[in-house]
Amino acid sequence: MTRLLRSYPVALLALPAILYLALIYGVPLAGLLARSVMVGGTFSLAGFTAFFSDTFSWTVIGNTLRTAAGVTLLCLLLGYPTALALARATGAAQALILVAIILPLSVGVVVKAFAWQIVLRRDGVISQALIFLGIWDGPQRLLFTETGLIVGAANVFVPFMILPIYSVLKLVDPRLGEAAATLGASPLYRFFRVALPLSLPGIVTGIAFVFSMATSMYVIPSLLIGDRFQTLATLTGRSFLFMRNEQLGSTTAVVLLVISVGVVVASAALSRRFGGAS
Amino acid sequence: MAQQIKGGPGRRDVLKLGLGAAGVLMAPAVLRAQTAELVVGGAASHKPWVESIVAPAFEKKYKCKVLFEGTKSLVNLEKMQKNKGAQYMSVVQMDDPVMILAVKEGLLEPLTVAKVPNLADLVAGAVHMDGMWANYLQPWLGIAYNKTEMKTPPASWADLFEAKYKGRIVIPSPQNTEGLPLIFIAAALAAGVPLEAGQKDAEAGFRKLATLKPNLLTIYTQMPQAYNLLEQGEALMIGPAMSSHASERKAAGAPIDLVAPKEGVFAMPSGIAVVKGGPQADLAYAYVNELLSAPLQAQLAGPTSSLGANKATPKPAGLPADLKVIQIDWANVAAERSKWVSRWDRDMAL
Repeated sequence: MTRLLRSYPVALLALPAILYLALIYGVPLAGLLARSVMVGGTFSLAGFTAFFSDTFSWTVIGNTLRTAAGVTLLCLLLGYPTALALARATGAAQALILVAIILPLSVGVVVKAFAWQIVLRRDGVISQALIFLGIWDGPQRLLFTETGLIVGAANVFVPFMILPIYSVLKLVDPRLGEAAATLGASPLYRFFRVALPLSLPGIVTGIAFVFSMATSMYVIPSLLIGDRFQTLATLTGRSFLFMRNEQLGSTTAVVLLVISVGVVVASAALSRRFGGAS
Repeated sequence: MAQQIKGGPGRRDVLKLGLGAAGVLMAPAVLRAQTAELVVGGAASHKPWVESIVAPAFEKKYKCKVLFEGTKSLVNLEKMQKNKGAQYMSVVQMDDPVMILAVKEGLLEPLTVAKVPNLADLVAGAVHMDGMWANYLQPWLGIAYNKTEMKTPPASWADLFEAKYKGRIVIPSPQNTEGLPLIFIAAALAAGVPLEAGQKDAEAGFRKLATLKPNLLTIYTQMPQAYNLLEQGEALMIGPAMSSHASERKAAGAPIDLVAPKEGVFAMPSGIAVVKGGPQADLAYAYVNELLSAPLQAQLAGPTSSLGANKATPKPAGLPADLKVIQIDWANVAAERSKWVSRWDRDMAL
């Protein structure tokens, strides 16, 4: 620690934030961890054994990872082109795109989830468009399905994919692409061999943001898919609030935490690697 | 300083003020001496019928004044806790789960047939914890449906299971009290026995409920979200639906209606109790007795879409006279509930 401070005195600037987090996040977290491994006052891993030997728990873990992966993929597909457009745009166009990305963040998640409930209705916009295009023969259920949840959640999280990618892309010299073009590289070749590798650190950060937020989302699944689809986050909430099962609640919370920490650590390692390569 | 004091109130002014203040303080005491006041705590939704039906009748009969504080059950509980030893409320009208908390805190005075004669005339299961509280009204559970989308109203609980309603049915979660009877309904349908008997075989109920899954739009924990879906026509039916909530939405102009299926309906309880150490104890028991009487319940049944807890109270208009009302075995529910909730999570998952 002291050596760290001697070599990076600027690290002192992070001290207030670290103290704040240690007090209001670290201490309760330690309590939660302790509770997940304490059964009747003694150390025991019974909570975890019971959790992992229950097939329902694996369904819940599967639900959590599958939706988070779906949301992340959709955010990437929608976010990357937007980030590219934002990085290339200038003046009013750039300001407009930026406002369009930032402004929706000021609308609460609950409001957005309710709006999606209207959009996903049987007679909603999506259903009508699909019927008009002949893809669907008649109205089908979208609301309270996994597809509906992924589409709705991606809408909430997409800015967190766009902004990190944009911040990397805007630093990439546009002349690199031009240089490749003069050497006869096709647009597709230029994208996959020049632009994409250079933007990888941004992509990794965006994926880490969106994936960890999507694994832990609570309000969006409760409103868009309901009680029948449990994720680690909703199961944690229910265990504490309704089932009064603190053991189960702290166990699921720890499992969720391990997944999130895993994602963050892996992405940090990856982004260092790509950062070094570029 | 001395200058300022001279300009201040003189001895006479102070005396006048004192006399005036005493007058103001004494006036209500004088009024109270003439007409006693009875403070009743209840839910905000009770206010219309308490103030228009119950209070006028009671005030006339007992020459007193009823002050109704309409908030909600948990607020009333808190008021009783804060004022323990110096209660100002005499009677509380609260939900049964909150009554249990109030009993645990020692805030309620038991009801006895000697003090509340009508207690003897209530339907079975309406008196709880050796008379700590009683149910006066019972909202019932039927099927709520969208009138615009469904031209023929549902007639049986079995309608919820019909294949043509794929993805259009909303049911309550067993976390909500109104959700539990669906297990009994399913069990009764599966075995072809009356609803009453369904309460004894939750296992059969769960097996039957699994066949309802294709029809489910969602399982709600938030009632307003469920009624929103029904009113928009996304859902066709909610079952079981609370009569009190469904009729409130219907009265507000929503295109929905509530039916009592031919197999019968389940009763949901609304409780009333006397506050321990509250003022005007005699009036308090009299108020409870009035609310438990058949004539008053008959007047309340319509506006609250509820059944009276008194055996002699006629069924509200619009309900068949031979309607079967099933009382829930709450002791059994309390013992099994968390097991059912956990089973439900697994069996009813997407």
